[in-house]
Amino acid sequence: MSSAAVPTRSYTHRLSGSTDLPDRNLVGGKAWSLARMTSLGLRVPPAFVVTTEGFRHFHEAGELTEGLRAQVLDGLADLERSTGRQFGVGPAPLLLSVRSGAAISMPGMMDTVLNLGMTDEVEAALANESGDATFARDTHHRFLELFNDVVLGLDPHDHRADSPAAVRASVSTARPDVAWDPLGQLMASIEAVFKSWNSRRARRYRAHQGISDDLGTAVTVQAMVFGNLGEDSGTGVLFSRNPLDGSKQVYGEYLRRAQGEDVVSGRVTPQPLSELADQSPTLHSELLAAAQTLEQANREVQDVEFTVQSGQLYLLQSRTAKLAPEAALRSTIDLVEEGVLSVDAAVRRLTPSQARSLVAPRLATTSQSNPPVASGESACAGVGIGRVVDDPDQAISLAAEGIAVILARPTTSPEDLGGMLAARAVVTDEGGSTSHAAVVSRALGLPCVVGCGAGSLNPHVGSIVTVDGATGTVYAGELPVLVPREDDSDDLRTVIAWARTLSPISITATAEGLDADDVVDLTDIPGGIDPEQVAATIAGLPPTQAISGGAAGSPEAVTAAIDAGVSRIVTDPVLPALLAAVHHTAPGQPDATAPTSADSPTDTKGQPR
Amino acid sequence: MRADEHLVLHGLAVKRHATAEEVADAIGDDPTRVEEVLAANVTTGRVADLNGKYTLLPGGRMIVKGEYSRHYADVRSSEPFLAAYERFERVNEEVKALITSWQVRELPSGEAVTNDHSDADYDEKVIDRLGALHERFEPTLQEMCTVVPRLQRYADKLDAALDKAEQGDRQWVSDVNLPSFHTVWFEMHEDLLCMLGKVRVE
Repeated sequence: MSSAAVPTRSYTHRLSGSTDLPDRNLVGGKAWSLARMTSLGLRVPPAFVVTTEGFRHFHEAGELTEGLRAQVLDGLADLERSTGRQFGVGPAPLLLSVRSGAAISMPGMMDTVLNLGMTDEVEAALANESGDATFARDTHHRFLELFNDVVLGLDPHDHRADSPAAVRASVSTARPDVAWDPLGQLMASIEAVFKSWNSRRARRYRAHQGISDDLGTAVTVQAMVFGNLGEDSGTGVLFSRNPLDGSKQVYGEYLRRAQGEDVVSGRVTPQPLSELADQSPTLHSELLAAAQTLEQANREVQDVEFTVQSGQLYLLQSRTAKLAPEAALRSTIDLVEEGVLSVDAAVRRLTPSQARSLVAPRLATTSQSNPPVASGESACAGVGIGRVVDDPDQAISLAAEGIAVILARPTTSPEDLGGMLAARAVVTDEGGSTSHAAVVSRALGLPCVVGCGAGSLNPHVGSIVTVDGATGTVYAGELPVLVPREDDSDDLRTVIAWARTLSPISITATAEGLDADDVVDLTDIPGGIDPEQVAATIAGLPPTQAISGGAAGSPEAVTAAIDAGVSRIVTDPVLPALLAAVHHTAPGQPDATAPTSADSPTDTKGQPR
Repeated sequence: MRADEHLVLHGLAVKRHATAEEVADAIGDDPTRVEEVLAANVTTGRVADLNGKYTLLPGGRMIVKGEYSRHYADVRSSEPFLAAYERFERVNEEVKALITSWQVRELPSGEAVTNDHSDADYDEKVIDRLGALHERFEPTLQEMCTVVPRLQRYADKLDAALDKAEQGDRQWVSDVNLPSFHTVWFEMHEDLLCMLGKVRVE
């Protein structure tokens, strides 16, 4: 049974500060990203990897052999040395995160377990160390919840209890074999990662994608860091540029003496980043420099999560920031001007839907002076104007007569779909942004306001209202709608000019210079106004010089027009179509700087759940 | 009303506007027989035929609704089924939250914007979680199927939609014009609500 012989192979890999990047196939994508951050000179919580060699050994032996366990213990001892903390023992207990990591990400692999190594004794030590017994107890419960869910595959709801001991007792009645000691937790987690390689979903995905079953997965074991160990600890998040307008100023929040979960739970109110500068100017500038390094290396605006533990800065995660469309436009132009991005890469980064939302109709700000007649939660942005109807069948029949309708319902059920399809906007009395009405309207791109309160629109049935999905408000009457023009924005004109140099097809807002005979108006052709059918329609045209009208500006039409040899598209706005045209061509020269990894998010912590 | 006839009209209630084939597919019945039942109900004025797509008329809807307690008395008193349904409602909250994060991403300002699906990594994570949720829920769904075997249709369709989504066909997550994961999940929810005589809570 046991392979007591000294292992001749290495099954683990220590992530050190070396500038040599490890083999991605050996350590997996996540550990590779960690190594890459380290190679940029940035500090991440210490970690080691059980490699894909370890994975193969596990599957050959059918168990975690003595040899493999011994190497895991060596890795653990390394972590204890570099953190000055001890696994499973106070007064400064070491807690770990464990996550799967194949070279290629795939569904069905084990999710991250956090706070591993937690016991009643460790909880007490952590309470003492942090001076926060509530935090220690919460951490303990969070560990049990994730461990039961991710490692044991149980539904945590079935084992909720007041005390951790009661949770363990409840789980143990269902699974008497679970070892709750810290090493037992660690070994069970590693084994669960290895076994998840053969989960039904993972196998199915590999079979479809032609990925070899022999590739295997690695396991990353990393020290947890804590931002609540004293006044010289804290946690925060920063964006390397302002994510709202794209301007070149860092933007972030910091919470002194707090753990990341406190931000999420709203237990504490975050402070601006200047709080960190007050606490320690050195740490503040170290953080800003790190954000700069990551932005340069990834050539994207970064969203960085960090923790300061006892005066030491650790980067937990860095990924491409999610930006408002205005900010995406501004920062992309700036990155080109700073020499970080090529024009080609910049244009490819912007999406047609971003370009479209920059010129999406909005209510003129001056028109909102009169109070709304109803307000709720924004579920899907956009402006819809029409007659209020409270019956889906009536919405269908009125819309068929060409009357614009707004569908108002208490809630929506599947039988309302027809009415929703016919409406210009949807308003509901009940429900939040996850309700059926919200989900379906977003799928349809239909302006939608939910949760306005019972009977909110009853007094308005039959009259005209204006629904502003973006702000979640409904106004009486028809309000003026502002349609932004591409020509009015310097930034849009810049990107349009760039995109024109890369587009294989001419795209203009007017038909100037074209003979009417040369232009096929898709509005007049069956299938020409429906983005789902327009590609087939264009492919079926006789040789055509130019197209306009209908769905001519949709990405589907642009792609089909290029393939069919059409030389010009007349549509307004032009940028969404130009971007679709550029996206349809092969990329130009790569950028001057080193290429980024395919696994762009540099993820070193668990996904927030 | 006979149980088999009620089932056909129940299928129509869940699907709303549908052809006989679509109703047959929803309840796992023979299309020819479903067509006969629907045609007979058109004659009695319970169902309208709109160019080959059927819909329940208000009177028909009331009758169908009134008969659930009779045809589903055993389901309504089945402890295992009710326990499974309670779990369904809980998982439903998670499914809705996941579908929302599929459609919407939150900006740092707190403003929610449409997920434009330009971030493959984000999309993969959402689909992976949906799959994990589905896998976790499957045993419960199987318990429901032992009481009401036709629910197996939903299990199969959910699995097929998930499989397509995992292979990169994004529209199979929540597209309302396809039997996407959300479409099927939602129809199943409606089906359960009808059988148990419950009202949707949002």
